[in-house]
Amino acid sequence: MMKRTLSAAALLLTATALTSCDKIKDTFGSKPGEQSIADTAYPEKVLWGDTHLHTSNSVDAFGFGTRLGPEEALRFARGEEVTATTGTKAKLERPLDFLVISDHAEGIGSTKALYDAPRMMITDPQLLRWYDMMHASPEQSLKAMGEMLAVRASGKPNPAMSDKAAADKRTTKLWNEHIGTVERYNEPGQFTAFMGFEYTLMQTGNNLHRNIIFRDGADKVSTVEPLDPADAKWPEHLWDYMDAYEKSTGGKVLAIPHNGNVSNGLMWMMTEPNGGPMSAEYARRRIAHEPVVEVTQIKGDSEAHPFMSPNDEFAGYGTAGWDQANLLGNIKTKQADLPGSYAREALKRGLLIEQRTGVNPYMFGVIGSTDSHTSLATPEENNFFGKHTGVEPGAKRAAAEFVPGVPSGRMNWQSLASGYAAVWATSNTRHAIFDAMMRKEVYATTGPRMTVRFFGGWDFKVDDLQGDWVKAGYARGVPMGGTMKPGGKAAPSFIVSALKDPVDGNLDRVQVIKGWVDKAGVAQEKVFDIVWSDMDGKRKLAGGKVPAVGDTVDVATASYQNTIGAPELSAVWTDPEFDPALRAFYYVRVLQIPTPTWMAYDMAKYKLTLPPEIPLKHQERGYTSAIWYTPG
Amino acid sequence: MNMKILGWRLIKEPLVHFVVAGAAVFWVLSGRPPDLGERRIVVDEAVAGALVRRYYDSFRRMPSKDEIDGLISDWVADQVYYREALRLGLDQGDEVVVRRMRRKLESMAVADAETAEPSDAELQALIDKDPAHYSEDPRTSFEQVYLGADTPQSRARADLQLAQLRGGKPVNGVPAPLPAQLGKASAADISGQFGDEFTLSLRRLPVGQWQGPVASGLGLHLVRITARDAPSPPSLANIRQRVTNDWRAAAIQRAQAQAYGDMLKGYDVVIVPVK
Repeated sequence: MMKRTLSAAALLLTATALTSCDKIKDTFGSKPGEQSIADTAYPEKVLWGDTHLHTSNSVDAFGFGTRLGPEEALRFARGEEVTATTGTKAKLERPLDFLVISDHAEGIGSTKALYDAPRMMITDPQLLRWYDMMHASPEQSLKAMGEMLAVRASGKPNPAMSDKAAADKRTTKLWNEHIGTVERYNEPGQFTAFMGFEYTLMQTGNNLHRNIIFRDGADKVSTVEPLDPADAKWPEHLWDYMDAYEKSTGGKVLAIPHNGNVSNGLMWMMTEPNGGPMSAEYARRRIAHEPVVEVTQIKGDSEAHPFMSPNDEFAGYGTAGWDQANLLGNIKTKQADLPGSYAREALKRGLLIEQRTGVNPYMFGVIGSTDSHTSLATPEENNFFGKHTGVEPGAKRAAAEFVPGVPSGRMNWQSLASGYAAVWATSNTRHAIFDAMMRKEVYATTGPRMTVRFFGGWDFKVDDLQGDWVKAGYARGVPMGGTMKPGGKAAPSFIVSALKDPVDGNLDRVQVIKGWVDKAGVAQEKVFDIVWSDMDGKRKLAGGKVPAVGDTVDVATASYQNTIGAPELSAVWTDPEFDPALRAFYYVRVLQIPTPTWMAYDMAKYKLTLPPEIPLKHQERGYTSAIWYTPG
Repeated sequence: MNMKILGWRLIKEPLVHFVVAGAAVFWVLSGRPPDLGERRIVVDEAVAGALVRRYYDSFRRMPSKDEIDGLISDWVADQVYYREALRLGLDQGDEVVVRRMRRKLESMAVADAETAEPSDAELQALIDKDPAHYSEDPRTSFEQVYLGADTPQSRARADLQLAQLRGGKPVNGVPAPLPAQLGKASAADISGQFGDEFTLSLRRLPVGQWQGPVASGLGLHLVRITARDAPSPPSLANIRQRVTNDWRAAAIQRAQAQAYGDMLKGYDVVIVPVK
């Protein structure tokens, strides 16, 4: 009898359900679509965004205390004021052009589910302990999260916490809600909201995380769900998922690896997971799915390390504290691990593998992003809301542990207020930004919005800078991310032009970093200072070295003067050591003059005395994607 | 089936009504609660409908027959546990219950705002309240020549270069990744690339003639405004989604504050000073 009633009810409801389905389509279809936005012939304006942001749907973000969800994250990114979890008003001085919310697929919503569960139904003593801690106070909640991460690192998750059926149900529900929210805030031409998630792949505590970005809208993306890495050790499973999505929907999706610095050498290996040398097939799969890498973020900078680059006086920015152990701090980092953990070395390894197999698995572009777990994308030093809610603005955070109350050996001051993704796209739309990432016409900064153009060709001359050199750059060369076709015996020349952020520090210098494989088959690197401020005046080369730019930082007031450095630095540079037989890459690094760190701003604001090891000034920077040269 | 038909017949009998009513009176008078309702769990179309709808919202498909049975059994179990717990007084003095009930009231207070579809008139009213916030920015089209850092030397050169431009001769500026001309740029566009100071300065310049030097966050510029499009009044059709988002966010906040304010009025909150 029960069954009969129900089938009738079900029949009745089919009709209702269909109607609501039509309604969903209507809502998504009622906005001006991407088709109504005209793409320019070539990228005219750089777009700024964050491809790596966590909200209260992330298992750890919620545990760390954030209560702001995707809607607040999107409102904040597009320039609205929101109230941060800790009660402070938060607003970006300048809105972003795009945002990818990348909540952890694994256990999405599960910490919140535990928090919301009725206490009497929790029988597992460990879960009950965490439950009580989360309800006791923000400090206790942080400790609970620290314990959860430690359990995660041990590789023996609490079975009560990983109830698969319940998790799947939660994921489906949250994902559908999330898609709806993102669609509502995506405004082609104005502000692009992408669908995406984080694939939090780890081997014990070694970081192999990837952020996944979809090019498409709800019609396609709602046919899949975020992929949980579960027991996976390597990313092939993710690539299968991406292939399946593209095949079944005709859509497109890409993955962005991040934090090589805490991977203990596993992020950019010379070998395949089975230990053998990397095959052409594996290399091809990797670069096809992962065209861009995130090189700078709050958890440190992965561009270069002094161990591999002892002659680069500017290597080692944001490496302190992050080069001692893997992400979860449960395995120490050995020196032999370092080369597989930093992007410059990966670019070199890519050349070596290409020389052997014909395919370069690491021919990637670079971006920066925040990895903020507060729903707030804030890499500005004077408006930094911290890695997670436990370190939102407050007098104690500068000298606290990375997770206050959880001794991990990592200090919060080792967090960088970094970074942003800069994209040379032909319009502010999903398709144009995504396509720019695919062709790697992107760059990273540690927060300042400096504009950088970089073209490589065979016949660029200094005079080109007097005309429409951008047009010339595209017509006669390739932009950042491109590969130059062999051009005879002559050395390649590059147009480089950098402009300061209009509201940030002047520029110190522009460098080209060249990597190549020498005749003996050994990968090499060299840093060239190609243009710097006052180079014909006070800063003439001294002993082959560019004198330091100086320092105007006043720590007491957390301020600086733009009386040193230059607002713009441009040059046409020709490689003086070019050998047409050797494969090579070239990328640009732009350095700002010294400015205060977020800790210095905190010190002035809260009138603190900080321990001497805490850095109060630094040189922020931008890194472009490389241009490659492959011999004919 | 026979039982069921019999049941229907009985319900229609006036005599039965009388007997049932009498029994009810008897129970009340004897002090026993009329717990017929508490002891009866009815699964009707409304209940099943709600379960199926919730399932559809989560999974975007209809549940199968077996799944519907599962949903129902689970719902029945919920009711049994819930009622038993109430009978045992487990809701008393439990801070989680307190918090959940608060959250429930809070979400009830905003439920209408969350699902309400604002009328065009309401959205228009929101725009009218702050037209500047929604109006398309005034659009400026201009050419600029970048002169590099703001120094006494570059200022001195600027006058000559300005005269040159006004005389119809081109001037080579300092190369930088800045557009030589911007068409119909919004204030946000201009500020993003040049800084706020420059945007404000542009507003004071006349259209048509080369002017300057104008200072920006980047240095000095010579500027010629080629066109200025008056801000078009915001049109609901173009910004419907954005206004709806704002309307909803505000409505939710308002509803929550109002509901709490109303309830609070019914209470005296006494704070006993510490002795």
